[in-house]
Amino acid sequence: MQPENSADRSTENAFQSGPFAGLNIVDVSGTVATSYACKLFADYGATVTNVEPPRGFPTRSLKPFLPTQLSATHQQQRPISAMHGYLHCNKASVVGDHNNLAAEPAVGAADLVVFDPKTLPHTDSLADIKVNTCAISWFGLTGPYAQYQGSDGAIYALSGFMKGIGEEAGPPIIPSGVQAQIVGGLSAFNGALGHLLGQLMGNLEQPFALDNSILEANMCLTDLLAINAFNKNPLPPRMGINRFPPTYPLGIWPCKDGWLGVTALTPSQWKAFCELLSLDDFTDVSFFNASVNRLASADVIEPAIIQALATYSAEELFHKGQALRIPLARVPTMEELFAVDQYVSRQAFSSISMHDTTFLAPSIPFRLFATPPHFGGRVAALGEDNSTQANV
Amino acid sequence: MSTDKLLNGLRIIDLSMGWAGPLAARNLADMGAQVIKVESCTHFDWWRSWEATPEWVADNGAEKALPYLSVNRNKLDITLDLESPTGRQLLLDLVAKADAVIENYSGSVLPKLKLDYPHLKAVNNELVMVSMPAFGSTGPWANYRAYGSTVEHSSGLPHLTGSSHQPPTMQHVALGDAIGGLNGTAALLSALWHKQKTGRGQFVDLSQVECLIPLGAEGVLHQSVHGSPPPRRGNDHPDFSPHGVYPCEGEDQWILIQISSEEQWLALQGVCAHLGRFGNNEERVTHRAELDKTLAQWTSNQHSTVLMQQLQSAGITAATLHNGLSLLEDEHLHARGYMQWLDRAFVGKQPHPSLPFRNGKKASPLNNPAPTLGQHNKQVLGGILGLDDTELEQLQLDGIIGNKPTLPI
Repeated sequence: MQPENSADRSTENAFQSGPFAGLNIVDVSGTVATSYACKLFADYGATVTNVEPPRGFPTRSLKPFLPTQLSATHQQQRPISAMHGYLHCNKASVVGDHNNLAAEPAVGAADLVVFDPKTLPHTDSLADIKVNTCAISWFGLTGPYAQYQGSDGAIYALSGFMKGIGEEAGPPIIPSGVQAQIVGGLSAFNGALGHLLGQLMGNLEQPFALDNSILEANMCLTDLLAINAFNKNPLPPRMGINRFPPTYPLGIWPCKDGWLGVTALTPSQWKAFCELLSLDDFTDVSFFNASVNRLASADVIEPAIIQALATYSAEELFHKGQALRIPLARVPTMEELFAVDQYVSRQAFSSISMHDTTFLAPSIPFRLFATPPHFGGRVAALGEDNSTQANV
Repeated sequence: MSTDKLLNGLRIIDLSMGWAGPLAARNLADMGAQVIKVESCTHFDWWRSWEATPEWVADNGAEKALPYLSVNRNKLDITLDLESPTGRQLLLDLVAKADAVIENYSGSVLPKLKLDYPHLKAVNNELVMVSMPAFGSTGPWANYRAYGSTVEHSSGLPHLTGSSHQPPTMQHVALGDAIGGLNGTAALLSALWHKQKTGRGQFVDLSQVECLIPLGAEGVLHQSVHGSPPPRRGNDHPDFSPHGVYPCEGEDQWILIQISSEEQWLALQGVCAHLGRFGNNEERVTHRAELDKTLAQWTSNQHSTVLMQQLQSAGITAATLHNGLSLLEDEHLHARGYMQWLDRAFVGKQPHPSLPFRNGKKASPLNNPAPTLGQHNKQVLGGILGLDDTELEQLQLDGIIGNKPTLPI
């Protein structure tokens, strides 16, 4: 098959440096979770090869898409996914036979093959070539839900995450986007790298076959719900928007120039917060030293907080509060996010190059100083590296 | 060799507190690394309590904090007063024999103690050090403070959640902590991989806020590509209906139902006969409010778990909304042995979540509960640094080590 876009790749092999240089990782499924796990390897220099079906990975169909006129320019038959670009920059793309993966050259040369068993049921042959594998699925490979239909929403529901979000009367709110899959991919990266490191240290001699459950990965956010319930100290039911026990005040409230995020947990933070806003009625009330008591009295405290905040600048309060060791925060909109000086100074967003256009995407959040990551990069077109693979 | 012994031979000094840093280190402890947690009697992990009182100390409250127990299992624990020259030197001696250090103090703390990376590197040139302050170690906010909630506030995520008529909406009391912890594990492993390959250590800087930004990638990309944020639609899907959370029998019982194909829609009609009049997807999206109301009337008389099983059997994406108690009773988690049980002084047998990855069918075993304060002073300071009993007694007398929290007078 000819690549759909064989534009010159001036950065060929330029990304094969960093701590993972020399590691060959293969993604044969292209879900958000498998893609994100492999992206973390690619960001630090592994050679990551996407073995895609002729139609391309599922991530190519994810919103948001690049503007339609750009798609038309490139005579695409379908929109071009910016989400695919974010997840797959600095990777190679070949089109392969998913019914005979063991025969794919990239798979044969791999240190690790990452897959979703639901999108790729024919992985039995991988056992014949004794390659390390990393299965990432919604609910894991075993158990009563193994064949269930999954989604990010289903993970938020079954992990206990969603029930605490939203108005008291409900319904609970479904978190946006593909967060559960990103967390699942991150956790699978940890599992795979831990096992690869174990092999490198000589602690693990046999190839491994990892079973990663996206549900279990996301339960790091909710395990405490179960532990508290076991100890007969369950957290109270949903308490309303931005109200989560045991912390109070906790919330996002409007100021003159935007939204301010407030958290005051310890007695000293609460006292400083009251002094900052001149909430004199509450400052020295010892009953309010305990966060749970403030939470129980939120109906009394909150109107005073809202009234006071409305008279201040959020930007000013943020810096003043931080100087007083109160963890206040600006709550930037998507538009404001790109201009926050802290994030600009750290290059928290980097440029992705895809089909002659560029856009900003999140950079990798951890930085190895001596072996820095790639910031942004270029996205391979479907099958762009077919000829390279033929020479493996 | 099983997963719980994978990283045998690695020694990590854990200076972190709260949730994020301890979780990052715990994941390596669960994989067999020797993780030595360092607290002090005056500056103990604040997750033991942020409102400590004399009564709490007398009641051994420091040993009963459930969140602390969860993220510190499989570790050793020592106490060292790092503000004393002797305590600081003992930490340096330990760092000299370690592979990595992890910490999540706000930016100014370790430099004041002269225990930041340059000082630690001076005693161990091959050291990996992962620093994970809320906003990262560089930039104008490097010394700013945050909890997991502050991290969520700062990430942009609240502007993607909920409906346009609601304020920016948080998802969790401390979203930044657990996600920061997973990224901290990734950072440690990446640098340790490089060290194992080359023999070289390095400093690793992790921003907990930047850890959350990928979770909002859809919004970031939409803003960048279209110049506007994605609309906040609540539980509605822009392209499909029905898609939402519907009430079930009992108080605060709910089920998630998401139809994403005509095949699933036909299957749903096979289970719920009242839906035929809503037509194709385009018509359903147009009349989604009426459809949601009809569907909610139907679900409200049904048990959420039974209904989930029925809908999933028909190939429909559906999930009951768990709370803490129902998580403990979930048949799937039970079948996979997800919760393991560890006996611990002061609190008895407690549930512990397994690692979310397993090599084979069984969850990797968890071996040791969280240590008590200073439980391993003798094992670590004696066994690793060679201090004898007399020296340890003197450290105790001088208040440099101990086993009980001390509150400021």
